[in-house]
Amino acid sequence: MTIGDQIIPFSPVPDTELSAIAKQLRRDIVTMISTAGSGHPGGSLSAVEIITALYFKIMRHCPSEPGWIERDRFILSKGHAAPALYAALAESGYFPVSELATLRKLGSRLQGHADRTATPGVEMSSGSLGQGLSFGVGTALAAGLNNKKYRVYVLIGGGECNEGQVWEAAMSAYHFKLDNMVAFIDHNELQLDGTNHDIMNIEPLGEKWSAFGWHTIEIDGHNFNEILSSLEEAKNIKGQPTAIVAHTIKGKGISYMENKVEFHGKAPNPEETKKALQELA
Amino acid sequence: MKIADISMRDAFFDALYDIARQDDRVMLLTGDFGAPSLDKFRTDLSRQYINAGVAEQNMVTIAAGLALSGKIVYIYSIAPFVTLRCFEQIKLDLCCMKLHVTAVGVGAGYSYSTSGPTHHATEDAAVMRILPGMTVYNPSDNIMVAAFAGMSYRDPGPKYIRLDREKFPLRYEEKHDFSDGLALLKRGKDMTIIASGMMVHQAFKVTEELLKHSIDAAIVDLYRLSPVNDNLLLQVMGKNKPVVTLAEDLVAGGIGSIVAEVMADNGCQSRLKRLGTENQYVFQYASRECLHSHLGLDVASITTGILRWLQ
Ligand SMILES: Cc1ncc(C[n+]2csc(CCOP(=O)(O)OP(=O)(O)O)c2C)c(N)n1
Repeated sequence: MTIGDQIIPFSPVPDTELSAIAKQLRRDIVTMISTAGSGHPGGSLSAVEIITALYFKIMRHCPSEPGWIERDRFILSKGHAAPALYAALAESGYFPVSELATLRKLGSRLQGHADRTATPGVEMSSGSLGQGLSFGVGTALAAGLNNKKYRVYVLIGGGECNEGQVWEAAMSAYHFKLDNMVAFIDHNELQLDGTNHDIMNIEPLGEKWSAFGWHTIEIDGHNFNEILSSLEEAKNIKGQPTAIVAHTIKGKGISYMENKVEFHGKAPNPEETKKALQELA
Repeated sequence: MKIADISMRDAFFDALYDIARQDDRVMLLTGDFGAPSLDKFRTDLSRQYINAGVAEQNMVTIAAGLALSGKIVYIYSIAPFVTLRCFEQIKLDLCCMKLHVTAVGVGAGYSYSTSGPTHHATEDAAVMRILPGMTVYNPSDNIMVAAFAGMSYRDPGPKYIRLDREKFPLRYEEKHDFSDGLALLKRGKDMTIIASGMMVHQAFKVTEELLKHSIDAAIVDLYRLSPVNDNLLLQVMGKNKPVVTLAEDLVAGGIGSIVAEVMADNGCQSRLKRLGTENQYVFQYASRECLHSHLGLDVASITTGILRWLQ
């Protein structure tokens, strides 16, 4: 909200409301992907609690002023989870919730992968994996150079950690002592074609981030208490960035999608959508 | 299933599978991509199949190491990720060392219409074709796709094969010899349309429309973008006939540029119109048909564009 020239940041919701918001985001995600007929439900659903905590509790941001210079930044590096981001942006007031139905449609601002030139609140156009953390390093460096207090949150997929650029960025964030930066790794143990373990073993993941100099915390990525306390902890860490390895479930919240790699990039059919919405009622 | 009924991807990997069964030097690396036609590799030829994860740069250079150790290597991902993401690795580790590695990219042009510029492949062919020693194939039907599996296996050197996600009617006879690099698919006395990939099929529809305006257009399928068969191209273009090039790709560097280069180098004075995507990324999210309308690449727009230009 703005009053005159004054920016009034989004008011954090009480902790008790976060679960209900997460459920709403899940309904939005399923409905929009089903309406579009294509998209990536699995990795959108695994990130819901993290994104909910950031947009509704932790980040200082102002939906009516997406370009507010002081805002905390959320960078969705795993761009295929755009539906989760769109749901959070809509539900927090960046654009009307009704617009979610236009996902992947002609003329829509809501593309299959997010486009920062079109959609208010999107910090980075993404969709090609492995690049968001580097963008985060640039954004976090700029905070120091411009004397800004904002914090930078980047969400990376577990499979995305296969990309070499993630580790180049990890090395540089430590080198530049970016303590204003947090990387969430949405560690749902699946990628596109199977398990991380079968395709490209990324373990020991927490130890890797530690070895790269990051303050590393491992949490249950669906547990709000753990998400919030890890973010509090990160705020007090000085001289190094924080990595939060969030153990999550791909397709979380919808029984037949949970831990199913088939729902990495497949829309539910009408029957499946109905069932999903019943489960999320 | 008949070859006409399967995707280009399956046509390619089915053919490659038959080759790989006979020759255990053949290796297939994928960048975290699967498909039913790849499952056969995974199960029956597990020693010849590697999922290299979402790490395309690493995958290219691993392929180089394998190739220098006697393997014939194929690497597979979505078109931009197996070309642009790892371009320098392809230049140095495949082209400079002249290795027998074939990059197979799925999603030519706007195949992934609703996934946006990250997944659109509109400059991949242009940049790959300028690499010395690189052969670039842009097939228009499954007969050709299957033939390219064999040609890429037999002929040494780096290659890029770009597959569409759609199914197209077959335009070639089984056993057609594709070493020419291009084919005159339809004769026409008034002008020539030079197209590639899915646009070859669009060209057939356009020529039907043009005929209603008494314009008889020839169609040339330029399926090998590098090296280009200059002599044959000049021959099929005919003398002083207007030429239109047709592709979904960015106009700069694409097949329009190829034809312009051949014409300029050979003093050919024919009029040339290059159709494709004009200097932009496409953020419109829609079916491929809608994107074509948006870009003026649907049959009606192409036809009126050509008619106006001819006047
Ligand atoms: C550079 C690049 N290579 C390949 C892809 C195709 N792709 C999209 S999602 C995905 C798997 C990602 O796995 P992960 O990061 O674990 O995502 P999640 O399971 O959380 O959805 C792949 C390979 C891509 N988008 N970008």
